[in-house]
Amino acid sequence: MQHVWIVLGVLFVLLNVAAGLIWVERRMLAMWQDRLGPNRAGPLGLLIVLADTLKLFFKEDWIPSFADKKIFVIAPAIVVASVLMSFVVIPFAPGIVVADLNIGVLFFLAMSSLGVYSIVLGGWASNNKYSLLGAMRGASQMIAYEVFMGLSLMGVVMMTGSFRLTDIVEAQRSVWFCFTQPLGLILFFIAGIAETHRLPFDIPESESELIAGFHSEYSGMKFGMFFIGEYLGVTLISAMTVTMFFGGWMGPEFLPGWAWFFIKTFAFILFFILLRASLPRPRYDQLMESGWKVLLPLVLVNILVTGAVLLYLKG
Amino acid sequence: MQLLNILLDIAKTDSAEGYFPIGLQLLFAAGFVATMMVATHLLGPKRKTADKLENFASGIPTHGDARTPMAIKYFLVAILFVLFDVEVIFFYPYAVNFRELGWTGFWEVLLFVGFFLVGFIYIIKKGALKWED
Amino acid sequence: MSLLFYISSVVAIVATLLVITCHRPIHALLYLVVSFLAVSMIFLSLGAPFVAVLEVILYAGAIIVLLIFVVMMLNLGQEAALQEKQWLQPKVWVGPSILVAVLLLEMSILLLRGESAAIQPAVDMKRISLVLFKEYVIAVELVGFLLMAGIVGAAHIGKHKKKHPHRFLQNGKENGHADNNENNKEVKPGELLKEEMIHN
Repeated sequence: MQHVWIVLGVLFVLLNVAAGLIWVERRMLAMWQDRLGPNRAGPLGLLIVLADTLKLFFKEDWIPSFADKKIFVIAPAIVVASVLMSFVVIPFAPGIVVADLNIGVLFFLAMSSLGVYSIVLGGWASNNKYSLLGAMRGASQMIAYEVFMGLSLMGVVMMTGSFRLTDIVEAQRSVWFCFTQPLGLILFFIAGIAETHRLPFDIPESESELIAGFHSEYSGMKFGMFFIGEYLGVTLISAMTVTMFFGGWMGPEFLPGWAWFFIKTFAFILFFILLRASLPRPRYDQLMESGWKVLLPLVLVNILVTGAVLLYLKG
Repeated sequence: MQLLNILLDIAKTDSAEGYFPIGLQLLFAAGFVATMMVATHLLGPKRKTADKLENFASGIPTHGDARTPMAIKYFLVAILFVLFDVEVIFFYPYAVNFRELGWTGFWEVLLFVGFFLVGFIYIIKKGALKWED
Repeated sequence: MSLLFYISSVVAIVATLLVITCHRPIHALLYLVVSFLAVSMIFLSLGAPFVAVLEVILYAGAIIVLLIFVVMMLNLGQEAALQEKQWLQPKVWVGPSILVAVLLLEMSILLLRGESAAIQPAVDMKRISLVLFKEYVIAVELVGFLLMAGIVGAAHIGKHKKKHPHRFLQNGKENGHADNNENNKEVKPGELLKEEMIHN
């Protein structure tokens, strides 16, 4: 029964965080862009979350007559399900982890590799030229950056000698991996932004040229699913960054482990939002070429240098 | 609850006991997604009119089928992705165990990366990774 | 063996049958994803989590994406769907399926006669890596070599050569027969690929 409570607790917290991010993102963007943001509904505009959710539920759930109905329905389900599954391996605090697999990192990579289907199928099923373009761009972007997402974590795995995420957190007791693996951290974070297709890498849905790209035909909570999936993805990448590079639940004693984990994760979520507020979108060919030609060689160099240094230190 | 008990029994009889919570998470995640989908389907209004397929305001009429053949560049990216992914797979077992493999393992992997880089440099020189040509 | 194994086996077989009988390529590919996920569950139930995860990363996550891209790129449309339907007529599949049934019978007799294999203990990742990079290191290097050849080959298949200059440029050279030329010789990317595939 203990498993059930952990699973339910994790899902409850995650979904609330994802919903809360609607408000956080809009308020933060407003703050950094010198605007007010949502401030009418409830204290500090907090009830905007509730209003938005209710609105999405009561919108017409329209499936275009020219769309492929089955796949049109499945696509938004895949994005949320695959991201929620990735959270299985993340240790939130000592003992609070859904399943502490010895292949944790690989499980995360496997689940995030399934996320590409939501975009490609959603865009294809919509049967709309903009959506299809967005889907093709999004899929190529995600698969190109997925290649070195796995490799960028290998430096950390080499230092720990384990794929288990609790082992990786424990190994950071003396020094966090963000100091010993700075290149790995930067590369992983870039890959993470591309995987969640957030700004500045939101090319599949760039609203000014593709009118929301792969999800322009979606309405109601089906659109909401893509939305939740995006926020869950942001949370996932932040949580993974914290676990792999910033010592997970580690921190001074005066706060419990889970509090440190949430504070650190929240800091990275804010960083995601800051990126959105401040960076322009690169051109598509620039994105692809920099991925293949710059980041992939860099990640290989990172692995080889890490290996050589560690073996040299071992003697 | 009964379903849960059956699942628990399955988990106990299995060699893969540690994976039971994953199944549970999948069950709840799928349940959440399904609930949302059904709820939005039931709650939203349904107005089936032909007007929805009309162009809005001064929109341009659509031409032909949306599913036109795509550029071959995307296919190239996908096939390179599969090849690189297979390469990457070999790094996973190496990374987790490279201390035991020592310097010999390191030279082996260096050779492996060398092969990879030769092919990689070749296609860069050939301009296969250039998006615009 | 465990219940999990049998459930996932049944799912894998049913999904694979649906892949064959579905005549819409994208739906078939979705069933193929399900089939691969089920196979990965089989590996998991047999105590090989590493292979299970690789199955998802490589097959479900990479190869199917490639196939979806091919389907999107070719976009064969209605004619191809009709052709697919014709392939599902009994006269096409009865012969092969009888042959396969004979093989299946043979295999099941062998399985029933032989002593049931004991369930292997879970495969440790460290052991895989030691075996892979010590005993079978030649195989690893050969795979590296093969992949290099694959990358070079892919770059050549996917190379999009502009064989014909733009029609405005053509105009200058060939005294205004641009329109005819364009209609006769223009090669769409999709067709180029089909040709390549036939040659291979």
